[in-house]
Amino acid sequence: MKGAGSGGARPGDWRPVLRGRGLTYVHPRAEEPAVREVSLSVSPGQLLAVAGPNGAGKSTLLRLLSGALRPDAGDVRLDERALGDLSDRERARAIAVVPQSESSPFPVTVREMVGMGRYAHLGRWEPVGNRDRAVVDRALERCAVAPFAERQLEELSGGERQRVRIARALAQEAPILLLDEPTAGLDLRFQMELFHLLRELRADGLALLLVTHDLNLAARFADRLLLLDRGRAEAIGPPAEILSREALEGVYEWPLRLVPHPGPGSDTGAPQTIPLRRDDG
Amino acid sequence: MTHSPRRIAFLALAVLVAVALSVSFGASGLGPGDLLRTLSADADPTARTILLQLRLPRAALAALVGGALGLSGCTFQALLRNPLAEPYVLGISGGAAVGAVAVMVTGVGVGLPWTLPAGAFLGAVAAMTLVLQIARRASPGGVDTRILILAGVIAGAFFNAVILLLLSLADIESFRSAIFWMMGNLSGAAWGSNGLLVLLLVPASVVLLSLSRAFNLLSRGEEVAYHLGASVQRVKLTAYLAASLMVAASVAAAGVIGFVGLIVPHAVRLAWGNDHRLLLPASFLAGTAFLLLADTVARIVVAPAELPTGVVTAVVGVPFFVVLLMRGGRR
Repeated sequence: MKGAGSGGARPGDWRPVLRGRGLTYVHPRAEEPAVREVSLSVSPGQLLAVAGPNGAGKSTLLRLLSGALRPDAGDVRLDERALGDLSDRERARAIAVVPQSESSPFPVTVREMVGMGRYAHLGRWEPVGNRDRAVVDRALERCAVAPFAERQLEELSGGERQRVRIARALAQEAPILLLDEPTAGLDLRFQMELFHLLRELRADGLALLLVTHDLNLAARFADRLLLLDRGRAEAIGPPAEILSREALEGVYEWPLRLVPHPGPGSDTGAPQTIPLRRDDG
Repeated sequence: MTHSPRRIAFLALAVLVAVALSVSFGASGLGPGDLLRTLSADADPTARTILLQLRLPRAALAALVGGALGLSGCTFQALLRNPLAEPYVLGISGGAAVGAVAVMVTGVGVGLPWTLPAGAFLGAVAAMTLVLQIARRASPGGVDTRILILAGVIAGAFFNAVILLLLSLADIESFRSAIFWMMGNLSGAAWGSNGLLVLLLVPASVVLLSLSRAFNLLSRGEEVAYHLGASVQRVKLTAYLAASLMVAASVAAAGVIGFVGLIVPHAVRLAWGNDHRLLLPASFLAGTAFLLLADTVARIVVAPAELPTGVVTAVVGVPFFVVLLMRGGRR
């Protein structure tokens, strides 16, 4: 129980586990649940990837875990505490989220944007301190956006903006990081750099959950993969164990083949998914 | 934020200059020299009365109302995530006008000094309660700001219809005074009512300033703000109530003075960016300086007659803002 309530524990010491048990959620006015009876845990030093077709409930699951949505059945716990028992600030010091997209009618600079990550650490009238500035600087460095710190966010490319939003999440100094399709729309290099950054954060002991459409990168970088199909957990486990042609063809309703990653390097042999032409299946 | 103290100091200085200009000009023709002499012991009592009972309270009212409109306009823009939002967007001015016009047309409490502002204030508070209740009932869980805008605009349209109905029944004298009231008018300034205004504006301003960081988060979207640790529903409700009360009090004291609450926050945004820690106090001070100057102009251009202050804010403010907007666009 140390950390969450006291605020006395130094950020970095506290490594809670985020658990969802039997999560079910029905969107208002929807008939079918978007998520049904899904259980999972996001653990320190681990990257959990969530994949599945469009509309499978990936983002809804992430929002249930972040507390943005309340489950209709099941519960979300941070260690032993129910997520709903935490104050908004406590929650934001424990869980940071990189949303799929965001926009604002009011332009801000990169540094202002990343500085927002310190909100949960500052009292209402408390001035920004040296430590806050150092955390922001480090987050800017880490995501390679320090050179643009004084530029307007809107002037940056999509990939740079995505990294700024990750930097803002890092400035929260939360032990748990949830990312919703952070590589969408990024080119090859940005995608790979992002996954390398995630690997570093995992090595630092962060608990990571990544919603992604990229089965191939998930197979190479994730410790565990959760495959969602129409709201249900079709399979959860190490990618090499649960990625099978039968499972994927069933979930995506498309013919495909799996081939081992040719290497070189530590990813050699990771199952890579190749969708076939419809007629060739 | 590093330039903030200097920028706030600059605006405070602008306010002082505006106060000096405002009290130095007026229908009576007393200039700055005459006014300085009133401070000496053997002063002309008439000049002294003009300074202390007419010009200073009027300058104070202009300062308070201008600041309140700047700050509340900025708040509504952040709350509704809409650059077009301004203090009257949610129908508060309409509610106030219904209250004021009803007092004028029906002649309730004729001759008593407080009936008009009281009617306007009650109308404004009724409007803000009504709009909030509509938005609450229509939103699934918490207040949806898109529904809040819709409720405000619809309520405003309804109030306009009620005002037209009341005016169509009014005699020519009440009709004229109602129209003048709706254009905004600072001539009712007095120390007593200014004191009441201060009692309401100071706590409301402190509450809004305490939310400046939350407004930065909110302008990125409500779910983003939630994930960064803001108590979104509470912030929205507090901001709505504090800003609405400021507007209600301002309208009760000075009628509907337009454009200040739209133009001033935008001018500050264009010049200094969108960090609400600077933006909120800067909007207050810039609103103060702007309305002081606009009111000075209103009193001197057709002296000894006076223009309605709300007409001057629009006629002077809009071209100024358009120039600022076009320069910003080229940058």
